[in-house]
Amino acid sequence: MKYLKYLFIRVLKIFTLVVFVFMSTAQIHAQDNVKEDALISLNFTENNNIKTIKATVTNQIGEPVEELDLYFFVKRTFSLLPIGDVFNTTDENGVVEVEFPEDLPASDTEGNVVILVKILESDLYNDLTVETTKKWGVPIPDKEYYQQNERSLWAAAANAPMSLIVSISIMILSVWYVIFYILYKLYKISKIKPYKL
Amino acid sequence: MKKSIPEKQLFNSIKERDLLGHIVKTSVRYKIWIAILLLFIVFGMYGYYRQIRYGLIVTAMRDYTSWGIYISNFVFFVAVSLVGSLFSSILKLNKNEWAKPLIRISEIIAVAAIICAAVIIIIDMGRPDRFIYVFKFGRIQSPIIWDVIIISTYLVISFILLYISLLPDIAICRDRLTAIPKWKKKLYKIAAINWSNQPEQVIILKKIGRILGITVLPVAFAIHTVTSWLFATTWRPGWDSTNLGPYFVSGAFMVGAAVIIFAMYFVRKYLNLKSYITTTHFDHMGKLLVLLSLVYFYFNINEYLGPAFKMVGVEGEHITELFVGKYAPMYWLVQIFGLVLPIVFLLFKNLRKPVPIVIISSFVILGAWFKRFLIVIPSLQHPYLPIQGVDESYLHYVPTWEEWAITMASFASLLLIITILIKLFPVIPIQELESPAEETSIESKKFKNEIS
Repeated sequence: MKYLKYLFIRVLKIFTLVVFVFMSTAQIHAQDNVKEDALISLNFTENNNIKTIKATVTNQIGEPVEELDLYFFVKRTFSLLPIGDVFNTTDENGVVEVEFPEDLPASDTEGNVVILVKILESDLYNDLTVETTKKWGVPIPDKEYYQQNERSLWAAAANAPMSLIVSISIMILSVWYVIFYILYKLYKISKIKPYKL
Repeated sequence: MKKSIPEKQLFNSIKERDLLGHIVKTSVRYKIWIAILLLFIVFGMYGYYRQIRYGLIVTAMRDYTSWGIYISNFVFFVAVSLVGSLFSSILKLNKNEWAKPLIRISEIIAVAAIICAAVIIIIDMGRPDRFIYVFKFGRIQSPIIWDVIIISTYLVISFILLYISLLPDIAICRDRLTAIPKWKKKLYKIAAINWSNQPEQVIILKKIGRILGITVLPVAFAIHTVTSWLFATTWRPGWDSTNLGPYFVSGAFMVGAAVIIFAMYFVRKYLNLKSYITTTHFDHMGKLLVLLSLVYFYFNINEYLGPAFKMVGVEGEHITELFVGKYAPMYWLVQIFGLVLPIVFLLFKNLRKPVPIVIISSFVILGAWFKRFLIVIPSLQHPYLPIQGVDESYLHYVPTWEEWAITMASFASLLLIITILIKLFPVIPIQELESPAEETSIESKKFKNEIS
């Protein structure tokens, strides 16, 4: 009887704990549900070589979203490069403008760069990423450029300075000529037969 | 493998017994020594397994100190390997007769050291499976490629240098050693390549010996100069010096001489070669070590005086760190106990006797290893270009146990290769001592002249 009572109390405790955890999770979800989706529209302008990204944020019913931090990035080989100020906050019209750096190398020979605008960890809006490709980067040189490039210490392997190739080759060939000559002579030694008396 | 040792070994002379005895007889001490070395190697291999499994993160190398003790150890081994050229080329071509019994030891050490240097470079790579890319995509403009080329070349030359000096002795082993296992007999038979002391053979061997003796010298200078250029062409304080090539080469000859003294002491003691490696050899080696140390001392002054006088920017910071900063104790210990005091002590005849000189040489060797640590690591901790997001761990370098285990294993491998080569072949040139080659070559010359 005593054990039954003990078991009953234990079960009750576990049940209360489960209910509590469930309620808490439900509450968190409820809070999450409070967040709404925002919309970002991007506008790109170019005046006197100054490239500007204008982002306008509106809510579901089309009203501008004020005081919201947006994050601007350019996609690089391994990670995202942040551009703009440290904080880019929307004004009363839901607008924020960021200047695009003029000397950023593009991802390809065409000059394409991938620009990303993000809402991150906002209290009121869900995370959002808008991605656009623009021809705003400095095009990277194509293969032909490298092939036509002058010979230099910093060039690709095929364009090493001729003087370096010649001097190193002479050194390597002369030393390895001696090595092979010696190996040949050792072979000759092995072919000399002892005199028979 | 079935071992069959047919009979008791008989020697024709005392000299033959002295110089070939150790090949026939394997002592318990030898087996214990090999076991200890293997133990170190196995432990190092476990460290390397962890490095392969988890990556270079198990080492203390980070964004600042990207070359740790592996590279300083590499520089040390390359330095030691130069000793082969010191004896086989410089001393031999200058007809230093006293150095003849030491040539073989120096060549064996050179071969072992250059093998270990080549291996340690691959160990330093995070992805050793990509080593082949060095050859596939290598740029001739890169000093690293120059180093790969010169190390491979020197490795081959060191092997040939050892081999051609061994050849007549291998033939002696083939002809006179009977109480040895079959595999050894086979090894000597193959390696002796029909050597039979024929006058023609002797003439060819002497000729290629001379050619190689001359060829090895520029290659040896090049190997350590190119190693120094790995540093001199990298933009870091302390390495931005035109003095680095001769500084490295002179340091290498100094440590090489110390390593020879160390080796000859133990070879003499454990192979009972007191009549062949005499106290005169130690005396001469002591004088040679003083000379080489003085040259290195001169280059040391050149290396540090200029930057220390000017104390410019990061270069000044680097010098301050060495002279009075966190590396100061190591720096002054190395300079005083590894360079200045050995020079002073070795000026006294009594201290050039076997026991004191081997103690002094061990300080020189230790000093030389830590000197390479001081050349590599403090420079890396002062980059000219700023690095973003510097983590606390970048600022210090204390090698991890994996790095020490691998480094110790590399030393054990060096000693293992040396021990095995000494066990397999006569460590003192027998033919040189008996000089039949000299006689036969003279005879053959006479014969030729008579015919003509």
